Amino acid sequence: MIQSLYKQRWLMVLLLLPFLSQAQMPHDHIYMNKKQLCIAAVFGQSTWNEYWENTLKRENLNMGTHTTQSAMLMAAYGVTDKLTVTVGLPYITTKTSAGNLMGQKGIQDLSFWAKYKLVKTGGLSLHGVVGVSVPVGNYVPDFLPMSIGLQCKTLTGRVILNYTHSSGMYLGGHGSYAYRSNINVDRDAYQADGKVFNTNEVRVPNATDLGLRLGYLKKGRQLEVFTEQFACVGGDNIRRNDMPFPTNNMQMTAIGVYGKYEPKQYGVNFRVSKVMSGLNVGQTMSYSVGLLWNMTFKSEK
Amino acid sequence: MKKILTKITILLPLWGLAGLLLLSCDKTIVEPTLEAYIPAKLDEKAGTWKPYVLTSANQVMVAEPKAANSAEYAAELATLKTAVSVITPENKKAVEYWGAGAAYRWNEIARELAARYNLAPAFNTTTGTYPIPDATNPLGEPKFPFANPPYTARALAYLSVAQYDALVSAWNYKYKYNRKAPSKTDATIGTLLPVSDLPSYPSEDAVVAAASYTILVAMFPGEVPFLDTKLAECKNVRTWAGMNVASDLTAGDALGKAVGALVMAKARTDGMGAANNQTLVAGFKEAAAAKGIKELWVSQETPARPPMLPNYGAVATWNFDKATIAKIRPVMPYVSGSAEFNKDMVELETINKSQTREQARIANYWSDGAGSYTPPGHWHREAAKLCRQYKMSEVCTARTLALVGTTVMDAGIACWETKYFYMTSRPQQFGLKTSIGLPNFPSYTSGHSTFSAAAATVLSNIFPNETTRLEANAKEASESRVYGLIHFRVDCEMGLTHGRKIGEYAVTRGKADGSGY
Repeated sequence: MIQSLYKQRWLMVLLLLPFLSQAQMPHDHIYMNKKQLCIAAVFGQSTWNEYWENTLKRENLNMGTHTTQSAMLMAAYGVTDKLTVTVGLPYITTKTSAGNLMGQKGIQDLSFWAKYKLVKTGGLSLHGVVGVSVPVGNYVPDFLPMSIGLQCKTLTGRVILNYTHSSGMYLGGHGSYAYRSNINVDRDAYQADGKVFNTNEVRVPNATDLGLRLGYLKKGRQLEVFTEQFACVGGDNIRRNDMPFPTNNMQMTAIGVYGKYEPKQYGVNFRVSKVMSGLNVGQTMSYSVGLLWNMTFKSEK
Repeated sequence: MKKILTKITILLPLWGLAGLLLLSCDKTIVEPTLEAYIPAKLDEKAGTWKPYVLTSANQVMVAEPKAANSAEYAAELATLKTAVSVITPENKKAVEYWGAGAAYRWNEIARELAARYNLAPAFNTTTGTYPIPDATNPLGEPKFPFANPPYTARALAYLSVAQYDALVSAWNYKYKYNRKAPSKTDATIGTLLPVSDLPSYPSEDAVVAAASYTILVAMFPGEVPFLDTKLAECKNVRTWAGMNVASDLTAGDALGKAVGALVMAKARTDGMGAANNQTLVAGFKEAAAAKGIKELWVSQETPARPPMLPNYGAVATWNFDKATIAKIRPVMPYVSGSAEFNKDMVELETINKSQTREQARIANYWSDGAGSYTPPGHWHREAAKLCRQYKMSEVCTARTLALVGTTVMDAGIACWETKYFYMTSRPQQFGLKTSIGLPNFPSYTSGHSTFSAAAATVLSNIFPNETTRLEANAKEASESRVYGLIHFRVDCEMGLTHGRKIGEYAVTRGKADGSGY
């Protein structure tokens, strides 16, 4: 009986895929219960009409407003109460409101995250996360800012520290270091850092990201404010009136709000963030909504 | 226990991947070392080859060197021997770098400069104009030059011609004075590069370095300190490697500088100064409309940017005269609305809707747009590579680069003349997008096609074994502009035909230059 119910639910999941959304962000302190699976679909849109060309903040009338839309399928699973694994795969499109640059679209990178609760004493907890991402789509990585991704393989190590008060209030922070592989581009010569490289191999700088969040979580209701900072480790700057390139030292600091309402089996979440300062990136305003669907695999015992 | 096992099983693929990534942790981009070689032929008679700008190989005098048995030369050899014995690891690295060949490396340096300066000036909101780069303030905003394809074609042409003329003259004196390489006179002098039987006075490397330097400081006036370093290093390497005594280098430097100055004097009067004469554009448009062109070119940038170098078509050509430009000019393209035009349009609309990844790859590979060394640079790179592959002598390398360089500049001039003769619109004026960025000048004919066909024609003549590949590359470069959606097919096909004709003039010149190649 239970089995057939699950089959029906799987079918339902497939039908609802385009309308579903996310659950377990790999930079929070929240875990799935053991044998609990959450399927999510997250729909996001981010836009900018000003960007930092090196440190110069500018508009570009030949692009107008740049828009990225994404639909990401995610699944999070509680291997144990202390270990949650997450996989995600986004489909992304880009476009501009002015000019003649061709929008790009396609499946981007498959990511896999494992989060483990290392230490917990009272309300204080320490978590370790390892993430890997691998490009799936054969998209063009150096037609920036239209490209949907950079084609690098990444390996991320992350530490999360969190304090949760019995009231449900929490304060958390994370720090990550991402190793990003070199990439291959279609051309076999390019310029970076004032030098011409006669090869199709392009060095993409590694990256760090830091976050600080303050929120409330109780009984399936969550609301938090956060600030996040992403920064490449090295890299060159966009030259005056040039286009961005994967070697650029991209940096940004954003603030935002995240919320989740997940009373029982189904849930929704949302996320809004805005880049406040940056280097070699657009001043992005991002929104996303996610639809969540939880299920628990009963143990046979 | 079971729990731990489960954990390990699940994490195993993750650690495996992590390990793989970490193994490839060194991200330094390594480019292959280019081995020095003994040339297949010494080209002993190159002193009789026909120069481009020099009236003869003797036009610039090079004094007779001190005799091999003189005390002065013995002293020079002794100094060289000492210098070789105290070189540092950095000196050795420099020797390895320049061992690839002076003409090869200076061509590469010029391409790098072109790439660094290939950025269109940003709109100045205060003045409401696109500022024009100023040669007297090269590092100001915008930088001078804007090394776009016509500018780069010209810079590389003069560079190659200066190298070639200077080397023809050097070969003349080398075999006139017949001074043996230092290590052939004194076998105890250690050398780091292969030593051929080529006479060493004047030093061919110093000749190339000084001639190249003279052209490049004029073409890229903001790069004097950078070029000073390269000039000094190129010459010093010959000492560190035990290849040349001081008088070889001094004589070579003087000869190279003198020939470079003569070539730059020609450059200064070739009409480039008037290439950006924007006052002609209105007249060009009227004339094109009178010919029956319906949809005239309009800048697609916001704010509208004046078209690139509208009078470049009037710059002096190398391998044919002005009358020939008109004679070989492609016929009028399909007029918008005609059946042929519509056919080309349908092809573009299909790509606009569903560009394949392979089409994108081809468009990207040949794009050579902003921030690159442009299509002329791409073909110079091809030529320089082939010269090394076929182990050409320094003078033969320079000859090849000069033939390619002059034909590519001729192609630019004739193509630009055609572009402004017809002033046709880009596909973007009909609502199409581009996956590579849109050049800001008229469509017909395609510059890529013209440059590529001219270069491939010349290179196929010099390297007949490479013909199939070179012609396929030229065709792919041409079609890449259709795949990138910035040209109609007719622009590309007519550009290819035009380019081949242009290339033939250089081939004819090459056949008559006395080289026997």
